[in-house]
Amino acid sequence: MFKRFIALEWKQFSRSSYFQKGIAIKILLAFGALYFIGMAAFMGVAAYFGLQKFMPDKDPITIVNNFVIYWFLADMVFRYFLQQLPVLNIKPYMVIPIKRSVVIHFLLGKTSISFFNFLPLFFFLPFSITLLVNGDYSILHIASWFFSMMLFTLSINYLNFLLNKNNKVFYVIASLLIAAGLLQFYGIYSVTEPAGYFFNTIYNKPYAVLIPLLLMVMLYRVNFKFIRKDFYLDGAISKETKDVHTQELTWLNRFGKIAPFLKNDVRMIMRNKRPKQVLLMSFLFLFYGLIFYTQETYQEMPAFLAFASMFVTGGFLMSFGQLVPSWDSEYYKLLMSQNIPYREYLKSKWSLMVVAVLISFILSTPYIYFGWDIFGMIAAGALFNMGLNSFITLYGGVLNRVPVELNVRAKAFSNTQGFNPTQLLIALPKIFGPILIFYIPYKLINFETGIICLAVSGVLGLVFTNFFLNQIEKVYQKQKYKTIAAFSEKK
Amino acid sequence: MISVSNLSKDYNGVTVLNIDNLDIPTGESFGLVGNNGAGKTTFFSLLLDLIQPSGGYIKNNHIIVNESEEWKPFTSSFIDESFLIGYLTAEEYFYFIGELRGQNKADVNDFLKKYEEFFNDEILQKKKYLRDLSKGNQKKAGIIAALIGNPDVVILDEPFANLDPTTQIRLKKIIKELNQHTDTTILISSHDLIHVTEVCERIVVLDKGATVKDIQTSQATLEELEAYFNR
Repeated sequence: MFKRFIALEWKQFSRSSYFQKGIAIKILLAFGALYFIGMAAFMGVAAYFGLQKFMPDKDPITIVNNFVIYWFLADMVFRYFLQQLPVLNIKPYMVIPIKRSVVIHFLLGKTSISFFNFLPLFFFLPFSITLLVNGDYSILHIASWFFSMMLFTLSINYLNFLLNKNNKVFYVIASLLIAAGLLQFYGIYSVTEPAGYFFNTIYNKPYAVLIPLLLMVMLYRVNFKFIRKDFYLDGAISKETKDVHTQELTWLNRFGKIAPFLKNDVRMIMRNKRPKQVLLMSFLFLFYGLIFYTQETYQEMPAFLAFASMFVTGGFLMSFGQLVPSWDSEYYKLLMSQNIPYREYLKSKWSLMVVAVLISFILSTPYIYFGWDIFGMIAAGALFNMGLNSFITLYGGVLNRVPVELNVRAKAFSNTQGFNPTQLLIALPKIFGPILIFYIPYKLINFETGIICLAVSGVLGLVFTNFFLNQIEKVYQKQKYKTIAAFSEKK
Repeated sequence: MISVSNLSKDYNGVTVLNIDNLDIPTGESFGLVGNNGAGKTTFFSLLLDLIQPSGGYIKNNHIIVNESEEWKPFTSSFIDESFLIGYLTAEEYFYFIGELRGQNKADVNDFLKKYEEFFNDEILQKKKYLRDLSKGNQKKAGIIAALIGNPDVVILDEPFANLDPTTQIRLKKIIKELNQHTDTTILISSHDLIHVTEVCERIVVLDKGATVKDIQTSQATLEELEAYFNR
């Protein structure tokens, strides 16, 4: 029976629309996957030598053990937001004569073949091998430690299932984590120390691999029981429907003609999983600058800083904007046959992006800490985003034409929905635009001129807003039939 | 109101619709029947300029639909669920359509009062998004939304499908009243011959993209249609 399930899964995977998109995408994706795997493997090897170099008096594995709790916590958070659970697919199996337990075992087994479960493998495995090759470690200890790490990863996998499906579990775990975080922050009690001690003990006593094994088995059983009890259409596998209230959002009426569209966009973002995910990701973009501004290497390369500064405020703009009009793909026919002026529709999307840049800019004020030069760059980057990047992104969106399922989370890493080569092409001016506009005057004159040029380019874009919107509107009109056809393709 | 001239639509060399001439006068309730693949939805999609004709054109109130958008203010339609915005509540959806059609919230509320019976307490104040309503209730919301703002042309693709018997009867009443008391041109497609003969003054049968029958509805129409389809 399992064999047949696997065959079905394979068909689902290989026949899904995004997989049939052409060889270029597949190659790109394969490269992307290889890159991540390669990075993880490299980190695994580099971690050993790096730790040995910087902390020669300590055992690398002890250091890893002391900090691995952060890895697992981050893993948990990322999974909660990004991992897609294969819940709904079992509906067709409910009425055919297969034992429920088989279906549930398969469903749970399937969650273990997730990118999230493989990524740690690529770190821990090279790290363990490097330990064995270069250090004086016993195979038994390392092997049992490695399997413990894997079992912890799988435990998180199953815990995540519960977190997503059971509010009680979610609140308990969330409050535990917050409590631990607060205790740590105020220095009342350090949770990471016993955690480090715990992981070191697991390493020192090979039979301790039984602890994560038992933990995983226990979580698996809990999951099994939870699903078994609710194996009905209206149970665990169903989409939950909460009571919702009509929101008037009358405060948006002040925006006049674009108000109806703005209201819908705000509701769209608040009520669907995919846009919420985008919102979260764009919040993370705010921290992008930390990578660049803290490293001395980049201080000598202001072109990179210009690029980073654009990213700090442009997260929402780019991740949301590249999927205009795909966000409305589910009801695009309605929009096209209704009494809708295209311009107002576009302007609403554009306004939303501009407002998001402004909010990001306000939130980025702590960057003043890195000096006024940096903050000036962020301000100029924000202007560039509002005046030019917004239009480039909107223009790219219409060439995109990929239907988006609003209330389905994008799968981490297999997220080709809403992604194609046109996106890459259109990304070029977004990335190199600010670099060139800044770098050329910077090289020729000085730093301040570079910033001013970047800012002025954005202001010019804002001045010509109407012109740009008109041009984009024309492209949208021209692409209308193609877009409708693409959006009504079965997913 | 609507006139079709030499309209054709091909997909990869296969003709799916070919109508030489069809005129639908203002105020007519017009029924379109035909088996699957006969071209009903294709015709409606062409009428709404959702797909491009391979040849010929449709005029809606003297406006060629694929050249100008001027027909949009007086035309409204409900073809399928993709005409609903899933993440809105029914009220929000009605207000949104209302705003597009120049009706404020109070107008829409007044309008909705007339259809309380039709909604049967299953649409308004349900605290649910449209995507979480049943198929039948989604359809009810979509049909009524298509009537907001007194459009001159209303296009409904299979409005009776998925509706419960009581609602089907109520919908027939609504369509008949619309036909008798207003000058609205109503275009309906249906697989249910009884319903369509009951509410439509004129019925056109499509087969493989061509019009094969054009009947002014009378007592004998149902029998004629049944005889035609029983082949």
